[in-house]
Amino acid sequence: MYRAEKLSKMFPDGLVAVDGIDLAIKKGEQVTFIGPSGAGKTTLFRMLNLTIPSTSGRLFLDGLEVPGLSGPRLKEARRRIGTIYQQQNLVPRLKVVHNVLAGRLGLWSTGAALFSLVRPAEVERAYGALQRVGIPEKLFARTDELSGGQQQRVAIARVLVQDPEVILADEPVSSVDPTLATSLVRLLKEISTESGKTLLMNLHSVELALSFFQRIIGLRDGKILFDSATAEITEEHLRELYTGWSPEGDAPLDRNGHTTPLSCRPLPRAL
Amino acid sequence: MATPPPSPAVPFRGPSRSLPIFLFVVLVLAAFVASVKTAQVDFFVLVEAESRRNLFRFLFGMFPPDLSLDFLRLMLPPVLETIQISIMGTTIAILVGLPLGLLATSSLTWGGVLHEMGTMGQRSRRLLRVLPYAFARGLLSVFRAIPEFVWALIFVRAVGLGPFPGVLAIGVAYGGILGKVYSEILESVDPKPLEALQATGASKLQIVLYGLLPQAFPDFVSYSLYRWECAIRASAILGFVGAGGIGQQLELSMRMFNFHEVTTLIGLLALLVAAADLLSARIRKGIL
Ligand SMILES: Nc1ncnc2c1ncn2[C@@H]1O[C@H](COP(=O)(O)OP(=O)(O)OP(=O)(O)O)[C@@H](O)[C@H]1O
Ligand SMILES: [Mg+2]
Repeated sequence: MYRAEKLSKMFPDGLVAVDGIDLAIKKGEQVTFIGPSGAGKTTLFRMLNLTIPSTSGRLFLDGLEVPGLSGPRLKEARRRIGTIYQQQNLVPRLKVVHNVLAGRLGLWSTGAALFSLVRPAEVERAYGALQRVGIPEKLFARTDELSGGQQQRVAIARVLVQDPEVILADEPVSSVDPTLATSLVRLLKEISTESGKTLLMNLHSVELALSFFQRIIGLRDGKILFDSATAEITEEHLRELYTGWSPEGDAPLDRNGHTTPLSCRPLPRAL
Repeated sequence: MATPPPSPAVPFRGPSRSLPIFLFVVLVLAAFVASVKTAQVDFFVLVEAESRRNLFRFLFGMFPPDLSLDFLRLMLPPVLETIQISIMGTTIAILVGLPLGLLATSSLTWGGVLHEMGTMGQRSRRLLRVLPYAFARGLLSVFRAIPEFVWALIFVRAVGLGPFPGVLAIGVAYGGILGKVYSEILESVDPKPLEALQATGASKLQIVLYGLLPQAFPDFVSYSLYRWECAIRASAILGFVGAGGIGQQLELSMRMFNFHEVTTLIGLLALLVAAADLLSARIRKGIL
C-alpha cells in the first residue's frame, strides 16, 4: 500500500522531524508506531495522508508516486485515506451528523454538500457509524457539547462513512479512559480486518501496541529505531526508544542522529 | 543508571530586536506631538466667551424639540426610508464583501496547510492562485479608501437623487470594510479541522462550507450587524448630499434654521440606532 524510500521532512525553521525513513506496508496490514513525544509520528502521518509534502526521498501510494499528484487526482488519492487525528479536528459548531458526513465530501458534489447542511443526506449511514462507535443518540447534538471521548468517537465515525482503503489513526485514544481506549483500538482493528483496510496507528500506550498489533515500528528523532514483529520486541528495545539509552553505544543520539562528541558536551557545574 | 542526555544549547535570541522597537516608539511619539500642533488642538477655544455664546444660542434654539403630531407624521416616511436604506445597503455590502473576502483570504487561496501539496515547484500555478487574491485585496481597499460620503456624491451624479444612491454608497463602502474584516476572521479560524476535511478528499468550496464558514459564522453575523448599525448612522450623513432618508430632512431643517425640528430628527436617529443595537444583541445571543 505504502512504500517510502529515505523519506524526510524538514520544516522551514530547519527542524528535521522525519529523517530518512524507509518503509513498506502491504495492503491490509496492521502496523503500530510508537515513540516518544516529538519523534515525528504525526509529521510522518501527515505525509502519508498527503497533507504535507516530503522535502526529500520518495513516497508511493499503491505504486502511485505521491509528489506527482495534484488537482482531482490528489483529491481522489486523499479520499482513499481516512485519518483520525490526535486532537479530534472536528468543526465544533456543526452538528455531529455533519461532522460524520464530512467523510462523504470526497464523493459528493459541492451542491450536494451544501444541500446536506440544510437537510442531511445519507443520515442512515451516519447513524449506523455512530451506532458502531456507541453514541447513536448524539446524531443531532452539537459537536462542541460532546465530551473529549465522544468527539474522538465522532472522528472514528467519520472515517467509517468515508470507507477508505487506509486508516491512519494518530493517537486515536489520547482523550479517553483506559477501558474505552482498549475498546476503540479493538474496534478500529475490527473495521480494518473485516474489509481488508490497511491500518496504521500511532500509540502512546506501549501496552495497547503490544497487545493488538503484530508489527511494531519504533520512531525516535525522526528515524526508525526498530521495525519488527511484536514477539521480538524486548525490554531493551523499549528502553532505548524512550530514553535514548542503548546497551551497545554509550553516547546518546542527538536530533540528527549523530552522537555528540564528548568534548562538545557542557561540563557539569559542580566541577 | 544512565545519565539523561545533555540538552543542546538553546539558541539565544539577542537584544537586537529592542532597537527597532525603540525607534518605533520614538516615531509614534513624534507623530503625536506633531499632530497636536498641526491639527490645531486647542481646547480653550471651546470656553472662550464668543464661542460659548454661539454654542449656547444653538443649544437653546434646539429646545424644546418639535413633537407636534403633524411634523412627526411627516417624518414617518423618511424614518422608514432610512431603515430601508440601511438594510438594503448592508445586504449589498454583505453580497459584495463575502465573495471578495473569501478571495482575499490567503489561507484559502494560496497559503497555509490547504496548499502544502500540489503547488510545489509550479510557479505558474502558484501565480494563478495569487492573482485573484491580489485582485480582491486591491478592489477591497479601493472600496474602503473612498468614504461612503464620497461614494454617495458619485452615485447621486450617476443615478440621481433619492434613496438608491445611498444604498449603493453604503453597499460599496461597507462592502469593502466587510470584505476586509471577513477575510481577517477567516484567516484566524482554527486550521486543524480544515486539514481534516481536506484529508477526506473534500474540495476547496466544500472546505469553505463545512469548515471555514461554520467556524467564522458568529463573528460574521456579529460584525455585519454592527455594520448595519453604522449604516443607519451613515444614512443620516448621506442624506446631506441628497441620498434620502432622515439625513435629507435634517439638512432641510438646518437650512431653514428650524432647530426644534433638528432636535426631533436627531432624537429619532438616536432611537433608531438604539433599537438596532437591541435587535442585534438579541440576534447575537440567538446564534451563539
Ligand atoms: N509545522 C511545524 N513546523 C515546525 N516544526 C514542527 C511542525 N510540526 C511539528 N514540528 C516539530 O517536529 C517534531 C516532530 O513533531 P510530531 O508532531 O511529528 O511528533 P509526534 O511524534 O507526533 O509527537 P507526539 O507523540 O507528542 O504527538 C517536533 O519537534 C515538532 O516540534
Ligand atoms: Mg503527534
